[in-house]
Amino acid sequence: MSDQRNEAQEIVGLNELIIECVNDVREQNDIAPGADISPDARLFGREGMFESLALVNLITSLEEAIEDKFDVAISLADERAMSQNRSPYRTIAALAEYAAELIAEQR
Amino acid sequence: MSVDFLLEIFDRQRDRDAIVWRDEICSYGRLLELVERLRDEIDVAEHTAVSLEADFSPTSVAAMLVLIERRCTIVPLTSSVDAKKSDFRRIAQVETIVEITADDEVIVRESGIEVAAPHRIALELRKRGNPGLVLFSSGSTGESKAAVHDFAPLLDKFKVPRHSKRAITFLLFDHIGGVNTLFYTLSNAGCIVTVGDRSPDTVCRTIARFGVQTLPTSPTFLNLLLLSEAAGRHDLSSLELITYGTEVMPETTLARIHKIFPDVRLLQTYGLSEVGILRSKSRSSDSLWVKVGGEDFETRVVDGMLEVKARSAMLGYLNAPSPFTEDGWFKTGDAVEVDGEYIRILGRKSEIINVGGEKVYPVEIEDVLQMMDGVEDVAVTGAPNPITGQMVKARVKLVGEESVRDFKKRMHAFCRGRLDRFKIPQKVVLSDEAMHGGRFKKMRGE
Repeated sequence: MSDQRNEAQEIVGLNELIIECVNDVREQNDIAPGADISPDARLFGREGMFESLALVNLITSLEEAIEDKFDVAISLADERAMSQNRSPYRTIAALAEYAAELIAEQR
Repeated sequence: MSVDFLLEIFDRQRDRDAIVWRDEICSYGRLLELVERLRDEIDVAEHTAVSLEADFSPTSVAAMLVLIERRCTIVPLTSSVDAKKSDFRRIAQVETIVEITADDEVIVRESGIEVAAPHRIALELRKRGNPGLVLFSSGSTGESKAAVHDFAPLLDKFKVPRHSKRAITFLLFDHIGGVNTLFYTLSNAGCIVTVGDRSPDTVCRTIARFGVQTLPTSPTFLNLLLLSEAAGRHDLSSLELITYGTEVMPETTLARIHKIFPDVRLLQTYGLSEVGILRSKSRSSDSLWVKVGGEDFETRVVDGMLEVKARSAMLGYLNAPSPFTEDGWFKTGDAVEVDGEYIRILGRKSEIINVGGEKVYPVEIEDVLQMMDGVEDVAVTGAPNPITGQMVKARVKLVGEESVRDFKKRMHAFCRGRLDRFKIPQKVVLSDEAMHGGRFKKMRGE
């Protein structure tokens, strides 16, 4: 398998992982479940489903889930994440892409 | 001399129990004999800085009295600070080490520490012709600071006769609370009951066996006592008073202790290495509201923080600048709520967590999480987070196995309605380690 295909699969896996975490956080924070969540669903910012506290919850849950599944510890909320040109928190897909980048670096 | 009044009390009460050590009773007569013997055995000059490396025992108490007579500056050190002992000796400019062994024997030796120039506080004590006492802060946050007291005014406070009680020496020999228990009890011809270890069962067994009336302890220990259910296994009917201090009492712990000891008075104490122990009065046994002060102290609250002015505060730190304001007020760093004459202690200023501008006190969160099934211990701290500044992080010790994800789900369900949303820990770390040290005080740092 080429590296590229590997990466593409990983992002699909990450999308699913994030959606699981999003559902957990929505349930915990009494955020009404919307329609089925797609990778393009907006998380934070304009029309995002989360405010800052729910976003913090999502990110810590995702970090824990990634550590569990991939056995790497990454930080999705730090200066680097905040200073990206485009926020990694804008959509599920954007977050998955950013997470994949950090995971690859850790390996 | 500063201990003459104590020795006179001992002489009048020769037959009474002074100290229970290793389940054996030492009378006041025997304690006096020990003092006389140690006057010869401990050969140090006046005003020497001496570390007294010991736990509570007949010989360690006699040694302390002899060193006070000798106007020494005494640095009590217990095995709980073993790792830091050589640093502490150096900071306190210890010249002579008096060690009391596990068999209650005395070993006196030179420290070998070269003192280039005595500290200005040591010179001040010499000028006053008074003994000194050096107490190290526990240093749970930051470096341990060495507070030096003039021992003479500290002892003067015990000349006022109060109740004679049998008290457990739960707080350590090198802690302001332990020193306070010791001299309070001796000056009223009460009996100090020492314990080999501070586990709930040992403490309860000792209370039952020796008819202990007073248990001065910490909220962390009371929590362990509840968890262990040790109180149900022993006859604790002699107990009259439980005092708790050194850290913030969680509301549910107090309520549960009051429920299992309905006839025991529960009193919150308040003291600091820097100013000593204030007199205190809880509004009631099940209340966290407390009045602190007494004839030797003034208190005030500035910007929600408690400040204390003591008639006989410490002379200063050996290894830090003076913490007092120009007119002698000490900023305790404890955040409090005020209701008339009463205050309620919320937590250390340094431990307040700021989540997106909202204040969170660790103990409030710990109190709620502690009530969850399967939670053995919990410590809450702030962790940096660029989105909200800080987030609430809980380290949790569970009784059984559970994944973080499952625990978090349960935690959210449990905390809903009990805590504001921003107070529910955003980050959870499961841990197998105890959250307290040898002083039975919550260690929030890892």
